[in-house]
Amino acid sequence: MADTLAATPPRRRRQLFWPSFALPGVGWLLALFVLPIYAVGAVTFGGVDPVLRTPQPQWNPLHWDFSTLSDVLSRVFTGDLQNVFLRTFAFVGLALLGCCLIGYPVAYFVARKAHRSRSSLLALLVLPFWISYLMRMMAWVNLLQPDGYVNRILHFLHLQGPPHNWLNGDWPTVVIGLVYGYVPFFILPLYATLERLDGRLLEAGRDLGASAFQTFRSVTLPLSVPGLMAASVITVLPMFGDYYTNTYLSQGSPKTQMIGNQIDQYLHQSSQPRTGTALVLILMAMLSVLMVYYVYTTLKQQREALR
Amino acid sequence: MSTSRRDFLARSAQLGVLLGAGVPLLQACGSKSGSSGGKVDPIADGLKPEKGPLKLFNYADYVNPDVIKAFESKYGVKVEITTFDSDSEAITKLANGAVKVDVHHSASPATVGRLIEGKLLRKLNKTYIPNFTNVLDAFTSPSYDPGSMFTVPYTIFSTGIGYRADRIDAATVEAKGWDLLWDPKYKGQVEIIDDYREGLALAMLHKGLNDVKDLNTSDKAVLEQAGKDLASLVGLVNVKVTIDGYKDIPEGTVTVAQCWNADMLTATGYLPSGVDASVIGYWYPKDDIGVVNSDCMGVMANATNPVLAHLYLDFMLDKANAELNFQTNYYLPAVKGLDADYLISKGYVPENLRNAVLSADQQKKGVPFLTLPEATDTLWQDTWSKFTAGG
Repeated sequence: MADTLAATPPRRRRQLFWPSFALPGVGWLLALFVLPIYAVGAVTFGGVDPVLRTPQPQWNPLHWDFSTLSDVLSRVFTGDLQNVFLRTFAFVGLALLGCCLIGYPVAYFVARKAHRSRSSLLALLVLPFWISYLMRMMAWVNLLQPDGYVNRILHFLHLQGPPHNWLNGDWPTVVIGLVYGYVPFFILPLYATLERLDGRLLEAGRDLGASAFQTFRSVTLPLSVPGLMAASVITVLPMFGDYYTNTYLSQGSPKTQMIGNQIDQYLHQSSQPRTGTALVLILMAMLSVLMVYYVYTTLKQQREALR
Repeated sequence: MSTSRRDFLARSAQLGVLLGAGVPLLQACGSKSGSSGGKVDPIADGLKPEKGPLKLFNYADYVNPDVIKAFESKYGVKVEITTFDSDSEAITKLANGAVKVDVHHSASPATVGRLIEGKLLRKLNKTYIPNFTNVLDAFTSPSYDPGSMFTVPYTIFSTGIGYRADRIDAATVEAKGWDLLWDPKYKGQVEIIDDYREGLALAMLHKGLNDVKDLNTSDKAVLEQAGKDLASLVGLVNVKVTIDGYKDIPEGTVTVAQCWNADMLTATGYLPSGVDASVIGYWYPKDDIGVVNSDCMGVMANATNPVLAHLYLDFMLDKANAELNFQTNYYLPAVKGLDADYLISKGYVPENLRNAVLSADQQKKGVPFLTLPEATDTLWQDTWSKFTAGG
């Protein structure tokens, strides 16, 4: 009996030792994720000071008023905000496609083919993070403005007559901006996956008579799906909330407005903060559907891998 | 062992209290004006100025630093400036107590009404502001603050059209007026101000007003029509919605822009080298009926230096100081004696931008944006949102 008593605490201590490492992370999430989201909800479902029009958050869920959310929901699904949501989804989809087309070959090359130059290439991939995102967008403004280098080169090559203003609310400009801004985030997780691919599997594929392309299609590509998924999630989530890429590259044209611009407008330039926070909640709900799908497929793959 | 367990419980309880405190803390952030606990009655006569530091709340780079220095040395105090980016950001931060200052330096007429009703501003005691007699006649008792009980104007500005005078001649501009912005000839070179009041008012002025009161209308039909007219700008001229006219016109990427008069005066500093200021033009309706707003100064109800704050307002209304301010920000001070003739003779304003200095008639007939009732304001904002989201 005495032995058991003496023995229990250390074992329990050992059991708690490793999980306790998660405590700072949990605290961080609670303070800087859960609480702020609750505050966003409290603002959306709360009131507004009738005179000063500042939000009066309602912290008690029993007294929540859902009228703003339902108004905004109907504007999003059937009303005037529908096209902003559709446009945002289209822009993000196209930008993701661009990221795949550019990012996959780069990640593949660095991970599998660049042997000696790998570390210097990796350093180059991280380089964009040293420069502020806004600075990089402003650089694009310089390149794309009517007398910028893009037009000068096109003119020099006789590919263009009168100079075109690429910053006039052209959707390709915004999509290119998004691809440029987020492609480094896409490449790095993909690189990590491709770098860990078991080379013996590829060799087996070739030994069994598959061509280089067939090996790529039936071995490399399926094995890089988890990396592609992770890279997509990491790039798509911030792209949905992005508004400054559009602000800089189409100078406030209504033709390219994204949902982030509407949120910014309602939170910073209006007296309807609740509409802004309702849009935040709706966007988050849509994104969490994507997140659930991602988590589901990743878990499924892990289970299959263990089998 | 038991001691540590008790410790643990005690600590958990502390943590719980801390977490629990977070909610009321946030609640306080969002609570209404009442929390400011200020007084709105004017201060008594003949009080001594406080020791400061005097805290101002203003747009960035909106006062001449030399004027601030002169005030500091005259009263032997420090002046601290907190900045904001937009009118709505300013009122939100003042209302929820995120910012505590003595002077709101630049409130628009649309927020002055709310600041007064929300009891955030203190009634002024004019005995501390002898320079109030310098204020332009049209602004001594403005519609948004009758009798200037709570505010004195800092600057005034009109909304018109900035254009490239080397691409469009003045006669065409005069003949077309607001139509200029809807002219497909300038497709891709048209800009309007990124502000829901300015944007919708522009469409109303373009359509022609039945009554100047329409610029503050609650009429749904008028607003809907204005929204439609704005939306037509997307197809007709591929309009951009920004506040960059002050640099886009001089740089030449834009030919016509709805803008503030001060933008075109500022623009003279953004011209590429070798380009003369004569390429810049500014148009305002000939009948002088248009949008004229002001940025107003007021003393906060919860000011800790109310006497000093009054003295600061007085200092800003001094003609010499006002002139110094104009030289840095190009916004016309609401002070007598700084008319077009004077500013041109001093070389501050080129002759071709004479119209960018508000005449007495423009001051008198111009309409400010007033505080709208909540439901009306929502309608304006949603109509604007529909336009900016469209295309």
